[in-house]
Order: sequence, then structure tokens, then C-alpha cells
Amino acid sequence: MPELVKLTIDGKEIEVPAGTLVINAARQVGIEIPAFCYYEGLALQAACRMCLVEVEKAPKLLTACTLPVAKDMIVRTETPQVAAARKGMLEFLLANHPLDCPVCDKGGECELQDMTFRYGAGESRFSEEKQHIEEQQWSPVVFFDRPRCILCFRCVRICNEGMGVAALGVINRGARSEIAPNKGDHLECDECGMCIDICPVGALTSGIYRYKTRPWEMEYAGTICTHCADGCKTTLSVRNGRVIRGNNRDHSGINGEFLCVKGRYAFDFLEHPERLHQPLVRRGVELQHASWKEAVALVAAKFNEVRERGGAFGVIGSARTTNEENFYLQKFARSWLNTNNIDHRRSGDVVALLDALAGLPGSLATTADVYHAGAVLIVGADLAQQHPLLSFQVRANVRHHGARVYVVHPHPQREDKVAAQVVRARGLAGIGQIREKLAGEQSLVVLFGEHIQGADVRRLVEMLPATARYVALVDYANSRGALDMGLLPDLLPGYQPAPAPGLSLQEMVGASLDVLWVVGANPLQGRARASGFLVVQELFLTETARQADVVFPAAAAYEKTGSFTNVCGEVQRLKKGPAVAGPKTDLEIMGLLARQMGHELAPPLPEAVFEEIRRSVAGYNIPYATFVTGAASATQYPNGPIARQGSSELIRSARDTLFTSGTLGRYCSVLNSVRERDLVRVEE
Amino acid sequence: MASKVQEIIGAASAIAKGMSVTLGEMLSPTITEGYPDEPVRFEQRYRGLHVLERDENGLEKCVACFLCAAACPSNCIYIEAAENTAQQRISAGERYAAVYNIDYNRCIFCGYCVEACPTDAITHGHGFELASYDTASLVYRKERLLAPRP
Ligand code: SF4
Ligand code: SF4
Ligand code: SF4
Ligand code: SF4
Ligand code: SF4
Ligand code: FES
Repeated sequence: MPELVKLTIDGKEIEVPAGTLVINAARQVGIEIPAFCYYEGLALQAACRMCLVEVEKAPKLLTACTLPVAKDMIVRTETPQVAAARKGMLEFLLANHPLDCPVCDKGGECELQDMTFRYGAGESRFSEEKQHIEEQQWSPVVFFDRPRCILCFRCVRICNEGMGVAALGVINRGARSEIAPNKGDHLECDECGMCIDICPVGALTSGIYRYKTRPWEMEYAGTICTHCADGCKTTLSVRNGRVIRGNNRDHSGINGEFLCVKGRYAFDFLEHPERLHQPLVRRGVELQHASWKEAVALVAAKFNEVRERGGAFGVIGSARTTNEENFYLQKFARSWLNTNNIDHRRSGDVVALLDALAGLPGSLATTADVYHAGAVLIVGADLAQQHPLLSFQVRANVRHHGARVYVVHPHPQREDKVAAQVVRARGLAGIGQIREKLAGEQSLVVLFGEHIQGADVRRLVEMLPATARYVALVDYANSRGALDMGLLPDLLPGYQPAPAPGLSLQEMVGASLDVLWVVGANPLQGRARASGFLVVQELFLTETARQADVVFPAAAAYEKTGSFTNVCGEVQRLKKGPAVAGPKTDLEIMGLLARQMGHELAPPLPEAVFEEIRRSVAGYNIPYATFVTGAASATQYPNGPIARQGSSELIRSARDTLFTSGTLGRYCSVLNSVRERDLVRVEE
Repeated sequence: MASKVQEIIGAASAIAKGMSVTLGEMLSPTITEGYPDEPVRFEQRYRGLHVLERDENGLEKCVACFLCAAACPSNCIYIEAAENTAQQRISAGERYAAVYNIDYNRCIFCGYCVEACPTDAITHGHGFELASYDTASLVYRKERLLAPRP
């Protein structure tokens, strides 16, 4: 605990830890010091001089954003001299700033507008013509309008420090300085849009939101990203039932300001022209439109018929449907279709990890732990591509806390740059080489991908200090939740053993089942169906849906309420963004089928099913208040051995990059537009 | 007797005074307007049906900044913005209003939109014959509000 320092700001006495910056100390007593270039978490810049304050005994005004507090310091932020300085700085900034607010996309949420309104002069004293420079498009998502730039260098710092990409730089000096992209006239980067969001003015603007609307014209729904497993909170801005943009301006959620290209821009699949809006039924050889009533009746009749004669069902769930839907699906299958043939595409060996952690409670790392841990070990995953948020957390940890990072991967990774040690080897063999070093790490977080699975997971846990905390990396938004909810042939929700294990996904797609029911997955990619009757719930006519007998159009995660469990086992709430006409949520579809079949399962309402999950699934008894307010709650794991039955299968990650997202990614034109260059590949 | 005479004189003078006002008004120019037989005369600042103005080149002045919609207390302005391209230039700025509706079921002719507009694109014209049997027809689209090309 650093010692406390007492100082006075505008007559208010305050005690803060030594080393605190005056700007932050002032915030603590509710005094706002205007700032452009200062941004919490990034390197100090002192470029804009907006934060000048008066300090007693100092001959000149000082920048509050770089000034650490000192004992008995007396700071004044509201003197005439400070006011004149602020006014003067704004006048400088506006010297060549165009009067663009009516057309500028930042208008309404622009820090320069706000500051000028609060601290600036009412009139301009300049009569000179402003220098106009044409706007430039740097990438499909990044536009740059140079005259609007106030050279705060936030974008440069976030891209370099935060993203580890360093695609933006400053060229020239002094008044000629300008922000420039890494490839001369365009950017080759992560396209995360972090620079756009962090820009205090409208110099960097987004190609997706471009000239569409205004911030006060939209409704906002804070939900969870539907792409990778990291579970970033993304706030969808909705106008007229259409999602216009995604961002996380309020810095809430486990990701703070962070979002990668997928969470920020990849929502356009919702409006893809190939989106299914009506059920399809196979008549003869062709799939034809049908009414919900007809399609539901057809499937229910078939299910009943097969059920009554004791036929074989197979059920394949999804890593992108909600916990509620997954729970309902397995309950439907197990209690009503009498089958344990239920599975989903597994992408990380969470089960082996939880089994190995029996007797070691509290050994799962949370997203925050990745930021706070003293050391991070990354094994067998390209974190920057597959887990952008975790990768961001690791970099922030190194910057702020000097964490030691160990990378074990046969191929070069972005994390190499910040690593204390890099081992170019695979899995346990690689870890063996740095075993002694790791043994000394008292606060270690281990992130491991597909290179470590099966029996290796236990060996890993045995090799490392008992205080280590783990994350088994999985692919998609609710991959972890699907496991927890028992979308497994041998395990019930909460990893309880199933009485008689059923067929796995690989076995089901090859077996000649009477009915195969696929909810939000695409297992028949590149293979023909073997089952007698195929029912698919999907957003698009995927390879699997194309072979189906009945296809139900499903709602996307952005269009429903429910919950996801992220890669670290944290449960977060989905909030419905736009309403959609035609498709129904998977939960509604299952509810319709159950009712038509004459079986009253639980009511297919997300809230009711979530209550049941909270009551019955081990580890999910999370505080309701935390959940409904949109914060993340960590789940507990069984903390006992998990009885696996049958041989453990080879688990393979889909190895999505920043610009792919499984089958869904194909329908995101934004991702495809930035992917054209095909720069990225995730090495095995 | 004298009081009777006085009474008559008093009454006559009162009538004369009243009639002088009446006759005087009869001879002075009329204020009442002959609408609908004659056109209406407006004060300059009368706030009637809005006009979306054009600039000297015939381009629309509106740049779809949404400020009028934000200022509107009865929330009756609806805008969708779009970007001008080299092939299709609608306004002089980077963006223009692809859709601009005013719902005259709700407009209270307060003039706040006119005050808010940074480009002087929206003004109050003198149109006032808005009555309709069909409320749906009271949502005026951009095409009806635009000033004719010069
Ligand atoms: S950056 Fe801000 S101040 Fe500048 S034109 Fe845009 S909205 Fe106006
Ligand atoms: S989009 Fe992201 S990666 Fe690209 S320049 Fe901006 S901050 Fe850097
Ligand atoms: S582009 Fe924006 S964030 Fe970057 S230096 Fe200019 S004003 Fe700052
Ligand atoms: S890191 Fe993952 S969860 Fe976060 S925005 Fe990107 S894809 Fe979505
Ligand atoms: S009429 Fe004026 S205020 Fe309204 S959107 Fe157009 S430019 Fe903006
Ligand atoms: S915020 Fe202090 S100089 Fe910019």
C-alpha cells in the first residue's frame, strides 16, 4: 500500500496514494479537469495542454495530466488564469478546425464540441480561410479527416499500446505533424475501430456508421458479442429496428473500452439477404416455404411417431445459442425424446480441466485475473487472433503491472513482443523447457488452447504451482455454456454423469438415426446426411440446412434475451437489440414443438429457464442482482472428479481469425471486406 | 320642462357620437380579409408550412444534421441521412437527407427547427391550408416540402 498524500484542490482537502496524477485526484472529489490527450491506461502525452491548472508556488500553469500529487500541494482549477488558458488552447485547436459539426459523424458526442461549449469563446477571431484537405479512406472501416484532428495521439497510443498493432503513427513535426496509416495511403491492421472510438473528435470515423444517423436518434441495447468466447459487452445502437453500430462507449462490462472488429462491426449478418424468414419444408426434392403451423405440426408428428416406436434420435446443439436454450434442448432430448445422443462442436477441453482441478477450488481465472496476474502463460493458441480480449488484457497487464508473459507455441505470435520468454515448441514439451521458471510464479494465469487436451491437461496442472489459475480456451460465444448445460453425450448439466452415454457429434453425423435435430450448428459441412429425418434451426441456408427436411428460421443472439457463459466461466446477460419479424428464438421453436407434441416442458421463457438453471445446475447459483444489472458473475465448477464415459475425442478449435467467425462469419460482409487481403492465418 | 329638453339633447348627441364612430369606420379601409374569395395577406414572419430551401445552384441546403429533429418539442421530424457521391449530388455538404418527413398531425409551428438549422435549410413558408380528412396524408415527405428548383 503506497503512502497517502494530502493535498488541496479548489479548497477541498483530499488524501490519495502517492503517485496519483492531479487530474485523477481531482476527479475523486468531483472536479472535472478538461483533457483531450490524457486517457486512462495509456502512456502520458501532455500534448493538448487543455488540463492546465494553477499550483501554488509554481511560476507557471502545470499540466494536471502529468503532475503527480505532492504533499500539501494546493491546486486551483477555476481561476481566471486557468479559464483564459483553456479558452486560449481551444482557440488554437479550432484555428484550422472546420465548422463541420452538422455533417460530422462525431456531432453530439464530440469532446471538442462539449469543451468549446463549456470553456471556449463564443466567437472566432480568425478571419482567414481554413485550409481544406480531402477526407481519406484508410480501410473499409476507417476514415480520416485531417483538418478535424487535434493531434492528441490517443489513436496512436491505443493502436500501439492497447492493440499491439502500431498501425498508426505521427509524421512530421510541430505544426506539420499529422497522423498517418502504416501503408502510406491505407491501413493494414486489426480493423478493431478502437482508434475511432477513442478519438475525441471526428477525425477518425467509422465507415459502417458513416452519415447514417445521430447518437440521440438511436436506442441502445447493451448485450454480449455473439462471436468469440471472450464475451465482450457490446452496445448495439438500434434505429428503426436496424442495428446501426456497436461499441462500448460507457466502458462497462468485462472488456472496458475494448472491442475487436467482430464485436464492433460484425452485426450486418442480421440483414443479410439470404437470412431465412420463413420455415422451409421439403416437398419432393425441393425445400419450399411453409407456415410455422405446418412446419411445427410436421416435425412434432414425426418426433412423436419415432418416439413412440422407440426410434433413434440425435440432437446437435450450438455454441452460439443461449444457456437457457441449451438447457432446454438437453432437457427436451433427455426427458422427452429419451436419448443421450446429444452433443455440440467442442473446441477446448474444459471437461478435462475441471476434472483435473478437483480439490483445487478457485482455480479458474476470470477475465480480470488475466489483467491482474503476476504472470501469464499462453500455450497453443494464437491469442491475438482467436481471443482478442484476452490478448488485450495480457498487454494491459504487461503495461500496467509489468506481468511476465510466457508464450509456448511452435509459430510466432503477437504476444512474443511482450513476452519474458518465448518457447517455440508444442504443448507440454514446450512448458517442460521453462518449468523451473514457472514453478517460481506465485500468481500465474494459464491460457491453453487445443495443444493441450485429454490426459495432458492433468499433467499440466500437476506440473505448475498449485496457486495457478486456468482458462481452457474455447471458440464461440457460448462454447463454455454449452458444456456447462450438458450438451454432451455423457454428462448432464453441471457435469453430472449421464446414466447411459449417447453418441457423440462425430458418431451422430455418420449414424443412420431416425431423426437428427440440429439447433444452430453446421455439422454436415462437406458431408452428406445419414439420418432419416433432418430438422435444422438456423439463420441461413447452410450446408446442413440445405439437406434438411424441415428448416426453422432462428433469431440471432442479438435478437434475444438470455445468457452466455464466456471462456472464463463468467455468466452475462444478453439484452434484446432489434426485434425481428419472421424468425423465432430457438427457445420459442422448442416450446412450440413441445406443446404440439403434447408435452408441457417448462415454459419456454428465458427468465423461467434461467431460474431453473440457477436452482439446478451446479455452480450457476449466481446473484440475480448482478446478472440483471448486466455485470459478469463467475460460475463455480464442481470441484470434484468428473466421470467421463467413453473415449475422449480429439478436440479441434475452428481456428477462426480476427476476420472469420465460423459459418456466421461468411454472412458478415464487413468481415469479408476486410479479409480480402487474407493477411491472417492461425497456425496449427 | 327644462329637464325634458336637456334629456332629448343629451340623447341626440349620444346618438350622433355613436354614429360618427360607425360612419367613420364605414369610410375607413377594411381589415377583414376576403378569404377564400381573395388571397390571404401574411406578415413576413408568419409560421406556416415548412419549406426545405435550395441554394443558388439548386442543391438542397439540408445536410441531414438532425438538429431540427432534436430541437422539435413535438418530435414530428423524421430524417434518414445518406452520403452524396460524385455521381449523385443532392446537397452541397457531404451528406443529405434521403428521407425528410414532417408529421403535421403533431407540428405546433413553434419555429424551433428553423432556429436550430445551421444551414438555413428549413424555413416557415406561408402555406396554411393543411386540413385533411385523412391524418395519414398529414405526414409530408421531403418531396412536398422542397422549394422548387430555381
Ligand atoms: S470533430 Fe467535433 S467539433 Fe469538429 S466538426 Fe466534428 S463534431 Fe464538430
Ligand atoms: S482499427 Fe485498430 S488496429 Fe487499426 S489502426 Fe485503428 S486501432 Fe489500430
Ligand atoms: S485522429 Fe483523433 S485520436 Fe488521433 S490524434 Fe487526431 S484527434 Fe487524436
Ligand atoms: S474479442 Fe471476442 S467477444 Fe470480444 S468483441 Fe471480439 S469477437 Fe466479440
Ligand atoms: S433542415 Fe437544417 S437542421 Fe434539419 S437536418 Fe436539415 S440541415 Fe439539419
Ligand atoms: S490532457 Fe493534459 S496535456 Fe492533454
